Amino acid sequence: MIASKAGRVASAVAGAALLLLSHQAAAAGCASPQQMDGFKTCADVAKAKQEGAVVIYTTDPERGTAELLGAFNKMFPEIKTSFVRLQAGALYAKLMAERRANSHLVDAMQISDLGFVLDLQKRGGYMHYVSPEMAAYKDGYKSSPEGYWTWGTIIMAGIAYNPKTVSAADAPKDWKDLLDPKWKGEISVKVSNSGLQHVAWYELRRLYGPEYWTKFAELQPKAYDSYVQQFDRMVNGQGKVIHTAQYSGYLEFKAKGAPVEFVYPPDGLPAGPETWGLIAEAPHPAAAQLFMDWLLGLPGQVAIGNALHLNSPRDDAPPPPGGVSVSKLKLIFPSDWADFISTRPAFAKEWDKMTGLK
Amino acid sequence: MRYLITPLVLLTCGSLVLYPVVFLVSESFNVGEPGVFPPQAVGWSNYLNLYDDSRILANTALVACLATVMAVVFGFTLAWILTRTAIPGRAMLERLLELPYYMTPLVGAMAWGIIAGPKTGMVNQVVTYFGGSGDFIDVYGPYGIAWVMALFEGTVAFVMISAAMKSMDPSLEESSRVMGASKLQTALRITLPMVAPGVVSATIFVFAEMLGSFAAAFVLGIPGRFYVVTTAIWQATLSYPPEYGRAAAMGLSLFLVMLVMLGLSRLILRRGSYATITGKAFRPRPLEVGGLRYLLAGVCWLYVVLSVLLPLAALLLTSFQKFATVLLAQSSFTLDNYRSALDMGALGSALENSLFLGFVVASIAVPLVSVLVWLIYRGNIPGGRLVESVVMFPQAVPRLVFGLGLLWAWLTMPIPIYGTLWLLGIAYLTVFLPLGMRTMAGVVLQVDRGLEECARVCGASWAHQMRTVTLPLLRPGMVAAWLLIFIAGVRELGVSIFLMGPNAKVVAPAIVNSWLSSSSELSAAMALLQTLAVFAAVAVLFIAVRRVAGEEKA
Repeated sequence: MIASKAGRVASAVAGAALLLLSHQAAAAGCASPQQMDGFKTCADVAKAKQEGAVVIYTTDPERGTAELLGAFNKMFPEIKTSFVRLQAGALYAKLMAERRANSHLVDAMQISDLGFVLDLQKRGGYMHYVSPEMAAYKDGYKSSPEGYWTWGTIIMAGIAYNPKTVSAADAPKDWKDLLDPKWKGEISVKVSNSGLQHVAWYELRRLYGPEYWTKFAELQPKAYDSYVQQFDRMVNGQGKVIHTAQYSGYLEFKAKGAPVEFVYPPDGLPAGPETWGLIAEAPHPAAAQLFMDWLLGLPGQVAIGNALHLNSPRDDAPPPPGGVSVSKLKLIFPSDWADFISTRPAFAKEWDKMTGLK
Repeated sequence: MRYLITPLVLLTCGSLVLYPVVFLVSESFNVGEPGVFPPQAVGWSNYLNLYDDSRILANTALVACLATVMAVVFGFTLAWILTRTAIPGRAMLERLLELPYYMTPLVGAMAWGIIAGPKTGMVNQVVTYFGGSGDFIDVYGPYGIAWVMALFEGTVAFVMISAAMKSMDPSLEESSRVMGASKLQTALRITLPMVAPGVVSATIFVFAEMLGSFAAAFVLGIPGRFYVVTTAIWQATLSYPPEYGRAAAMGLSLFLVMLVMLGLSRLILRRGSYATITGKAFRPRPLEVGGLRYLLAGVCWLYVVLSVLLPLAALLLTSFQKFATVLLAQSSFTLDNYRSALDMGALGSALENSLFLGFVVASIAVPLVSVLVWLIYRGNIPGGRLVESVVMFPQAVPRLVFGLGLLWAWLTMPIPIYGTLWLLGIAYLTVFLPLGMRTMAGVVLQVDRGLEECARVCGASWAHQMRTVTLPLLRPGMVAAWLLIFIAGVRELGVSIFLMGPNAKVVAPAIVNSWLSSSSELSAAMALLQTLAVFAAVAVLFIAVRRVAGEEKA
């Protein structure tokens, strides 16, 4: 009886140990990840090289993306990289149409709008792969369950102004200062299909109430498709301030020597993710897994910072050149992403009306 | 042979166009999940909601009408000067006036944003320097958009109208002058009516292009909070969830407008005979205009400066800047943009692909549309006019929308061509059929039936008559159509956005993407490299054509 009880305890302990081991293995992605130059991988590296290619769909700028993929290709010259860059809606539409037709071209996708990300996960569009590098990412920055998508970078927005047309004394200090009628016709925002603009609308509405945007609409803001256009106009004196100025855009233009200053509003910087995930039925699965491990590892995160001026969600990664680490900034995220996504139609309606589209 | 070609051509052209149209129409009635075929729920709401977009439709009509009038006036004036009058440097000017067409409209829009932007645009800086207001000119609005569109489509009108004018017997004008009419009276009462088919074709073509024009409205409209159908469609396809139904309904509604335009053009063309190429031999003889020749040459040079030299200079300056700025005091210069454009790799292969597609598609499309036009206008085939309307459909629908139709259509085909240059080639062929049709229709209408009848009376078979009489007469028009389609292929944007794959990229979307997401200075460098490549390709083609013509003469 005792022996039997001891046996049951032993087998329970053994079972628990096995469970723990398997949990650790799952958390690590595989039992024994392979150590590469600066990151770990569970991918079959030989097979990845044999596949010889990895195809990325992204919303990030072409120049930066080419530079990022160039860094990966430098480490793995046997794996040819190619990409398609489109805005989020068009990119997602392309992917959906391809999936419906069973035409699979893409291995990994970056998209900044969580609405698309959750929709794709719901449809079973992501490959499940737990990268050993995901252990360095907070739970809130990953899919549930882990292994479908991960925040590859964090984008955030503050206020930017042109010091040649706006003195430091006159410059806005916080979000509410942007409601001053003196900015009428001189302020720009992004169009309603920008995920970051949606976050800013959602978070500032939460902070200051819906009347914030009603008053803001009186300033007749101009809406642009991208931060590049916002900064371009401002440094040329065609507009004085940028509401929801993307931080990476500020770093990029500052690095080029453009007259631009950034304000970190004390109430916080609306922030959101750029989410990366592998696509189910990827034509080059091993190469895709290797790419994801590299990207989420320190080499990839440093490369992203250098190429795209974007901040890493990893605590141990350096900020982009000239930038501040996210740990030193007051970032404001939607606390309930499902609620955030549900407000998309209301946001688009208000925004399109405000910016003259409807 | 004739009975074999007819159904083959009709079937090819008809199915190329109708297949994606089925998907577009289906989506316009889809009120369920977007992009699902067949739709889960259908209704009229996408069309009924167009009422909410009435301001956008009115904006589109305003810009299209303004731009069409300007473009046709530019095109007719330039064509008349260069084909009917003796001005210094005529041959060179003729080549130079085609240059705007070789550049993408995006180039013009970007450049005119630099030249005539509000406050700090180059023109405003000059005005401010002389004590004026910095708000002297603002290209970001309906008039600016129409101006840029007209400048760059004016050259299309010029090519189409001058092709018609070149085929005109000058003795008709000489008779008018002998009878005492002034030069202006002759131009308005003889030249204009005789080239009516070319002018009407050009007007309809240009108007349709204006309705579906994207680049100028995209670059110059959005900053001024001015939206037209194409920019609204662009936003609709990018939103989440995508408003494909709304986009399809907006696009298809433009087809109705074009149907009315097409009906009008037929009414005009039916009023008389426009045959100007007859059995009587003639040698084109330009009018002597005395001292006016310098003024007329100046008009042509002004057009070249405004549409080519000034925009290229503005882009050249931008392409060497570290960050794009019109304020020269804050400029710093670098070669990095060209280095980036070439290092990115994407530009090189995209440019190669675009040139290849332009060449292949033009070479297939021209014989195809030539036969089609002949069948419709001369063959009196049953349902010919219906076929013409079907083939003209892509012209009447914005390319962005038609691109979606093509994407859905060809993805469902069991042939694995999605994401390859094959699909882009088929798509280009489909959307450029109207361009070829319009160009060739104007030329075919001018060839007198009597010439062919003579050949037949002398015992020539249909094939022999086509080879020895008809085709040689059509050759100038065919060369013009080939060139138009080649260039249109190289600069194509709308359908390419949705159809290009990771290894099948083309150049215009790459430049738009760069303008949107990378930087204006890099985009300027890319656009200039593209323009240079096109100029070089066209120069090589001209040399080749000249050599062939020289050998034939010898």
